[in-house]
This record gives sequence, structure tokens and C-alpha cells, in this order.
Amino acid sequence: MSAITGQALAARPAVSSRRSRRRRRDLAGLLYVAPALALVLVFFVLPLGTTVWMSLHNWPLLGLPRWIGLANYKALWNDKAFWRALGFTSYYTLFATIGLLGTGLALALFAQGTGRAVALYRTAFFLPVVIGFASASLLWAWLANVDSGLFPALFEALGLTSGRVNILATFDPAFWSVTVMVVWKMAGFYMVILMSGLQSIPADYTEAARIDGASALQRFRHITLPLIRRPFALALVLCVSGSMLAFDQFYIILAGGPQNQTVTAVYWIFNTSFVSFRLGYGAALSMVLLVILVALSVVQMWLLRDKEEAR
Amino acid sequence: MSAPARHPAARAGGLELRGVSKSFGAVEVLKNIDLDIRPGEFVVFVGPSGCGKSTLLRTIAGLEEVSEGEIAIGGRDVTDVDPSRRGIAMVFQSYALYPHMTVAENMGFGLRMAGRPKAAVARDVGAAAEILHLQPLLDRKPGQLSGGQRQRVAIGRAIVRDPQVFLFDEPLSNLDAELRVEMRIEIAKLHRRLGNTMIYVTHDQTEAMTLADRIVVLRAGRVEQVGSPAALYDDPDNLFVAGFIGSPKMNVLDARLEGASLLVGDSRLPAPALGTRAGPGLDVKLGIRPEHLRPARENEPGLPFTVDFAEFLGGTTYLYGQCGPDLSLVVEAGRGPVPAAGTSLAIACDPSDMRVFDASGKRLR
Repeated sequence: MSAITGQALAARPAVSSRRSRRRRRDLAGLLYVAPALALVLVFFVLPLGTTVWMSLHNWPLLGLPRWIGLANYKALWNDKAFWRALGFTSYYTLFATIGLLGTGLALALFAQGTGRAVALYRTAFFLPVVIGFASASLLWAWLANVDSGLFPALFEALGLTSGRVNILATFDPAFWSVTVMVVWKMAGFYMVILMSGLQSIPADYTEAARIDGASALQRFRHITLPLIRRPFALALVLCVSGSMLAFDQFYIILAGGPQNQTVTAVYWIFNTSFVSFRLGYGAALSMVLLVILVALSVVQMWLLRDKEEAR
Repeated sequence: MSAPARHPAARAGGLELRGVSKSFGAVEVLKNIDLDIRPGEFVVFVGPSGCGKSTLLRTIAGLEEVSEGEIAIGGRDVTDVDPSRRGIAMVFQSYALYPHMTVAENMGFGLRMAGRPKAAVARDVGAAAEILHLQPLLDRKPGQLSGGQRQRVAIGRAIVRDPQVFLFDEPLSNLDAELRVEMRIEIAKLHRRLGNTMIYVTHDQTEAMTLADRIVVLRAGRVEQVGSPAALYDDPDNLFVAGFIGSPKMNVLDARLEGASLLVGDSRLPAPALGTRAGPGLDVKLGIRPEHLRPARENEPGLPFTVDFAEFLGGTTYLYGQCGPDLSLVVEAGRGPVPAAGTSLAIACDPSDMRVFDASGKRLR
């Protein structure tokens, strides 16, 4: 009995030294992540906190902010213009996402093989991605210009329109020209994401499915699509959140027109904050948009989650 | 013990290859291959890496198109027929099980794609699962199975297709040694039970010897020899087959054929009876399997052998040593006292156990 107690006593210093060693190791780990932590703190957590704080104030550009509690959020509830902007943003997000992921997947399928020309195609498809959104929008604004642009003249020459028509003057052609521009500019990015998924599918699966008698369409539906679910989920979340935050293209090409029909949520926040200088109210709008985005992303991740535990 | 009855619905088809060639760009991987495989036969393609054995199998499957030649399965020309309509099923080295489907879905995939009713799919999958004892695993995903179980599922998926010819592409190479032996026996039993034609690719000559009715030895896209394991072992057509089949390898010694005797180093041995008698002398290669070498009897002409190293394996002992400069030998000694390194003894071999090859490696008979 006493021998056992003696052993237990002797073991105690060993345990405590092990514990202090572990504490030192934890500290070292914290030190390693400190720079990243600092960046997140300064560029994400602090601005987020400030935005929340601002949203609870009447915050003019000049003059003192005044605490008003949840008044901004109550006002927002009745702000028809904001909800209309949000509705338009959702409409745009729907078509932009379908266009971007559909085109991205088609390009990925086309450019996933091996061959000398394939590298050229990939580069060509990806090239527009590296252009800034503002530059691309300016280019498009010029192409669509009714007097000097290419599109009105081209449509006229092809006999699609009688005379030169200003395609940016009515909602549908204006909306679609911006959406097509976005697809042209960003599809290459989603092509790369989806291609990484396609290329990670072993050729054996396709061959086994060929022997199993699955047609090319059946192989795509039953083998390829389920196996690129993860990169597809990533592309979807990026695409939806990117589209919900659309601003540059509608600001530069359409300036929110025609008849303010293409004002997006971010555009409205920009107008509120930096045209009307209602910074507190703009902050409240931003918070609502953030909550909507988080909710959307969670729903998408849940829908595309991995149903099997192990693979 | 009587052999299990063959599967009543066995659909065994023979296979004919006529002048099959396959090139990838300028590289000719298969060169004018002719082959006849009888219905129900178990044929193993064996050869070193890059010999074209997998390409030959994929060509038969239709996953690669032939550059020239014809392929017939069950008497029907399938050279230009889609893989799914050739009456074949294939088991891949990686198993190629669809990771997002359950075992049952994997096995029934082909039938579902063909639009077969659910009940019929379930019945066929159930029957195949019973053969391979897979019933408890039917609802699992491949990721939840062990290597051996995945292998059985891959075989099960092939059985569901009810093929005339099963194609196996190195199916055991991803398994550990113990499981490989187990699965080898299981595949052999399956062949006896199903009775289908099976073609099996491997680089492991032990697998080839134990499984095959006939072995096809390939080298650099050509068929070197076709025959039963015993025929290839005892009666190789050339030095390549002699060296490839058998472990440890056949001993090959430089020798000179002079009339009825062979000159090896400074020793003169009686030559086996050969149809071609060499006159003044012919440089040849003498092949002797380790188990055919034994201590020379009194007054028997033999080779002086110095033991470098002895490998005791329990049942037998392999002696590694020299019988002259640049003349290495392996001798299989039975159970008994193991000679120490440096021991010298005279060893001999019956002329009937000697294989003689010409300088190009072709067998002299």
C-alpha cells in the first residue's frame, strides 16, 4: 500500500513537468498564428464591430453621431427602395449563377483533356478573369454605346434591329448585356475550380461506366456530377455571394438605370452612405445584407453536404 | 472432395485475336498478336512492366481501339463494338468502385443504366452478392470497406453483368501478401463455380502459375510463348520465358556445345539429346533449374561449386555461389545440414533436365 502511494507521489512531478511542456507548446502555436489572427482582427473583426456600432447610431459624415438604438433597422423594414434593390440583386444572382456555372462547367468539360490546343483554350478562357471589373465594365459600356459602339452597329448589320438601338435604354437588353459581360469575364474562374474537380476523377470510373453500358450523358449525370460536388459547392457559394455583392458593372455601365431598375443592394448602400451621407443607416443595410449572405451560404453548404461519412 | 458444380447459367465464350496491333503515335505497343482462347479457359497474360499485357486486355475490353487486326468473342467479331456490347466485364486494378454509391448501387449500376426494372436489378445483385458473401455489405459505401472487400465488390459487379469473358487487370496488386493469397484462391474457386472464360493480367509469375489453365508470356508487345504452367516451366521456347517463369530463376550459364558434350568453364558435361548437332563448336546458353542441381555422384562429371551464401527456408535451402569466374548459380538443396559459406563441392545435373539455348536465346531442341 505504502509502496503504491510512494509511486504515485514520485509520478506527480513528471505529470506537472509534462503539463508545463504542453503549455509551452500551446503558447508557441499561438505565436505562429498570431500574425494571421492580427490580420483577421484588424481587417475583419474590427470593421465588423464598427459597422454594428455605427448601425445603432444616426451617423452623419460631419457632426456628432447620435445613439438611436434599433431605429435604423426599423426604418429599413419600411425602406421599399432597399427591398426593391435586394429583389433585383436576387434576380441578377439567379441568372448570373446559372450563366456562370453552366458556362464554367461547359468550358471545364471542353478544356479538361490533354493536348496541345487545350492549354491554349484554357488560357484564352481564363484571360478575361484577370481584367479588373471596372476596366471590363468600361470596355462593355463602350461596346454598347449607341453612337460609337460595336454592338448596336453589329445588331443592325445582322438585321436583328432596324436602325441603331440603344441597348442600354430599356431594362431587358440592358440587364442581359451586363449579365453576358459578367459571364464573359468570370466564367474562366469557375472553369478552373470545376476543372480541378473533373481532373481528380480517376479515368477508371469512366471506363468502368463505359463497360457498364452508361451513355456519355448517363456517365455525366451519375458519375461526373456527383463526384464534383465539393468543387461545385465552392463555386456556387463564391458565385452567389459574389453576385449578391454586385456593384461595379451596374454602376459603371448602367449607373443604376434605366429608371433606377438596376440598382443592386450594394449600390443602394453606396448611395445611402456616400451620396446621402447616412452612414449609420448604410451600416444597418450592410448588416442585413451580411446576414442574408451568411444564411444563403449555410443553406447551399447544407444542400451540397457530403452525405456519406467516409469515402 | 468433389469439385463444386458449375454455375448452371454459365455463358462461356471463346476469344480469338487475329493479327492485333496497337500503336500509340509512333510507338507500337502490341505487335501482330494471334491468340485463341477456348470457352471456359482461365488464361493469364504475364510479362514485365511495359510488355503490353494491360494494353492487350484493354484492347479486348474495347477501351482501346486496335490499330490493326480483329477480335472475336464467342464467335462474333467485336473489333468495332462498344465495350458494353462485347459480352465482357472487367475488374480494375484500382477496383474503380463509384465512391458515392453503395455496394448494391455499384453492382447494379449497369443494369439500372440499361433501364432494367428495380426488382430484376435487386434479384441479380442479390444473386451475385450471395456467390461472394457480400450480403451484409450491400448498404455500405466503398470507403467503408477493406481492400479485400472492395475487391470482392468489384468482382461482384462483374458477375452481375453475366459476361462471356471476365477480364482482370492486376486485381490483387493493391492487397497485402496474405490477402493476395486468399483472394487468389477465391478467384480460382469462382472460376470453377462460374465456368466463364477468364483473362487475367499480372506481372507476378506465382499468380500466373497458380491460377492459369494457360499462360501467355508477353515481351515488348509480342507473344513469347503460350502454354500450360507446366509446359512453360519444363519446356520454355526461349531464354526469356525460361528466366521469367519460376522462382528462383533458372540458372543460365555460358557454355560451348562440342559434339555430345557441353563445355562449361573448364568442366565438360554430357549434353542433352539435341536434334541439331553442332560440329566444331557452338556458343550456347545452358539453362538448369535450381532444383535439378545436386551433388555429383562418384566419377560423375560435374561442376565445381563454391557456396557464398545459404538461404534456409524451412522446407528447402537455396545455396548461392559460383562455379567459375562470372558463373553464378543457385542450387536448391533439400532438408539436411546447411553447407557453410566457402564450402566447395561438385554438383551435377541429369542431361534431360538441361535446357540449351542458342546465342539469340532461342531454344535448341
